[in-house]
Amino acid sequence: MLFPVDSALRTDARAVSADDTYDAVVVGSGISGAIIANELSRAGKRVLILEAGTGVDRTLAGYESYLSTFYGAASKDNQSPYPDNPNASMPRSPELRKLQPAETDSSSYMVQSGPYVTDTVFTRVFGGTTMHWEAKTPRMLPEDFNPRSRFGQGVDWPLSYDDLEADYQAAEREIGVSADVEDQTYLDQKFPEGYVFPMKGLPLSYLDKMVGKGIDDTKIELYGEQYPIKVRPYPQGRNGIPNPDYDGGKGYKPVGAVNTHEVEEGGRCQGNTNCVPLCPVQAKYHSGKTLAKALLNVQNPEKGTSPGKIDVLVQAVASKVVVDSDSGRVSALEVKVYKDPKSSEHETITVKGKIFVLASNAIETPRLMLASGLRSSSGLMGRNLMDHAYLLSWALMPEVCGTMRGTSCTGGIIDLRAGSFRSRQAAFSVDIHNDGWGWATGAPFTDLTELVDGHNRFGADLRRGLIDRVSRQLLLAFMIEVMPSESNRVTVDPQYTDQLGNMRPVVSFTVPEYSMRGAAYAREFAKTVFARLGAEDHTRYDPSDYGYVTYEGQGYAIRGGNHLAGTHIMGKDKSSSVVNTDQRSWDHENLYLVGGGSMPSIGTSNVTLTLAALCYRSARAMLKQLH
Amino acid sequence: MNGQLESFIGLSILLTGFDAVRLRGSGMAEPYLKAIGAVLPPDVVGDLLSAYEQLPPGSERERERVLESEILGDPRLGPVARNLIVLWYCGSWTQLPPAWRAAFGESPLDTNRVISGAAYQAGLQWEAAGGHPPGANPQGYGAWASGPQRSRE
Repeated sequence: MLFPVDSALRTDARAVSADDTYDAVVVGSGISGAIIANELSRAGKRVLILEAGTGVDRTLAGYESYLSTFYGAASKDNQSPYPDNPNASMPRSPELRKLQPAETDSSSYMVQSGPYVTDTVFTRVFGGTTMHWEAKTPRMLPEDFNPRSRFGQGVDWPLSYDDLEADYQAAEREIGVSADVEDQTYLDQKFPEGYVFPMKGLPLSYLDKMVGKGIDDTKIELYGEQYPIKVRPYPQGRNGIPNPDYDGGKGYKPVGAVNTHEVEEGGRCQGNTNCVPLCPVQAKYHSGKTLAKALLNVQNPEKGTSPGKIDVLVQAVASKVVVDSDSGRVSALEVKVYKDPKSSEHETITVKGKIFVLASNAIETPRLMLASGLRSSSGLMGRNLMDHAYLLSWALMPEVCGTMRGTSCTGGIIDLRAGSFRSRQAAFSVDIHNDGWGWATGAPFTDLTELVDGHNRFGADLRRGLIDRVSRQLLLAFMIEVMPSESNRVTVDPQYTDQLGNMRPVVSFTVPEYSMRGAAYAREFAKTVFARLGAEDHTRYDPSDYGYVTYEGQGYAIRGGNHLAGTHIMGKDKSSSVVNTDQRSWDHENLYLVGGGSMPSIGTSNVTLTLAALCYRSARAMLKQLH
Repeated sequence: MNGQLESFIGLSILLTGFDAVRLRGSGMAEPYLKAIGAVLPPDVVGDLLSAYEQLPPGSERERERVLESEILGDPRLGPVARNLIVLWYCGSWTQLPPAWRAAFGESPLDTNRVISGAAYQAGLQWEAAGGHPPGANPQGYGAWASGPQRSRE
């Protein structure tokens, strides 16, 4: 499959502005925007997609330029492949610093007004954050949908697991999930009889198996209850071996790279250990795959279909949602279209459509709404910002485990995703990182310089030292749930604007006590696991770390998870939520705010699969509305 | 340059613990020699290579001992030799220590940086540890499930 060549040509901004035949205008080309555009187009609707980034990666040369930028970058952080674009800036973790009490740091794009400094990021390029996502795709557990009634925490969803089950399947098909049902059937996780994932599960790493050898079938006790633990594989949004039993025996054809013919790439994961920040071969799903399919289908429709045309306007930053004050309907979007990322020169156009879909992400969508003066009659626009809190613990295994090979993460310990303890403390899932201590310490570079400069190692002695030091590294990343809290929020402030004059997001965040109790327990859990493995614990948290949080006298470095959610929360009524179960705004009947922002809670699931599933539901509602 | 290159590779073998085939095969020997020539004050590269050439013939262990005292233990050549190890292992140049710069000269090129995309991909550190540089030279689907070479030895 290949992006149609003409889709890489720039759509003319003036023609777009003069066009009043769009059924839907979609802001953002990430997974939400791509799924919705594809679903609407398949039903014959005309769609305009606005993308703030440059869109270079639609061509192979463009995609490869990201890879070259990554190879040459001194810091290999999760935005390192994506060049600075002051017209569509994004947060970058190397720019962060610790805040003093009551201090606000506006030196980087996302203004941090504290007290906690989050290194969470989203990516403003064509394909959105699916360009750098790690592509773990667990479903939420049935009990994650009603934490208020079950545990007295957070808020209940207006939907149940069963309401979303079929849409989870659609999302798993679109992303191309590799997993085995027998591995994923745990903690009341249910799948329909006979269901199989599109591709077979990726094998556990040797490191996972070494951890498993030490802990499988052991138990831990929490508030008087016993929980058996073991290492299990995660479902993954990257290509594996197609399952011939998929779709009632029809099988599944993986989608590889979408901008190259000569080099057939990406049909199967090669183990580049670089899911974040960029899969070099596109074996990992990115939303360009969905868009390529949608655009191709317009050119060569399948038998019996007459899909609607999709226009993609890149370098187009939505800057205002214009609302008709009588009807409350959105009448247009103001869009700033720039020619060159380095220059603020732009023209402002307005675009019109029957419905409008904001699909940027849980920071940018409320930012745009608030910058347009639209706070939601619930007052909740931008509030209830959530993201998983990550706590890292790291140790040296007693023997060489082959760390630094594989996908970034193949397995983990997920037995504490559920349980009655959730009435007191946050649940978590634990990732076993195949890429060593890099996230926590900057390994293996820091190990190398310590051996060379500190221990005067060289030659064969240095090689032995590195094997001993790096190949034994075990990093456990605890992904801790965070419940909604109205004071954790995104706002805007006219004193903080970007190069185009758009207001930048201002984030205020405190890691809730419920999550910190989970974090404190996570640290103890890690010690138990390390003891059972005979591993040397090397964990230490630096008080000068920007994410350093003190809880009950102990300090922890908390990291962001890039699992942004909650800022336009979904609910049953207009006073307690921003959108309904179709992600349609309560205030504006032709406006949909889609993505993680609609999720009332996130449990211990990476958010993408669930927000993708919600978009199938929304697309059906949009089609109903358009008919 | 050719004579220098031979000595540079000889020195690099001792410093990195990788053999001539591996170092030449990386394609990075010439670019690295050029890079250190550009970043270091005149004579430092020449003196470093002369010091290598003057190592006594004999067993590897003996040569290593003299390398430790005459090169790695030398205030002017030692930090450069250690930087050379890091260069081969990561493809990155790291800024020399402040005391070194004050004593022996500063250069605008003496900054922390990746020499090139190819240098990153040729870094020896992952190979030394049984892995591969993230994003390059992958071992193939499912290779991660097998024990690393080292543990099978």
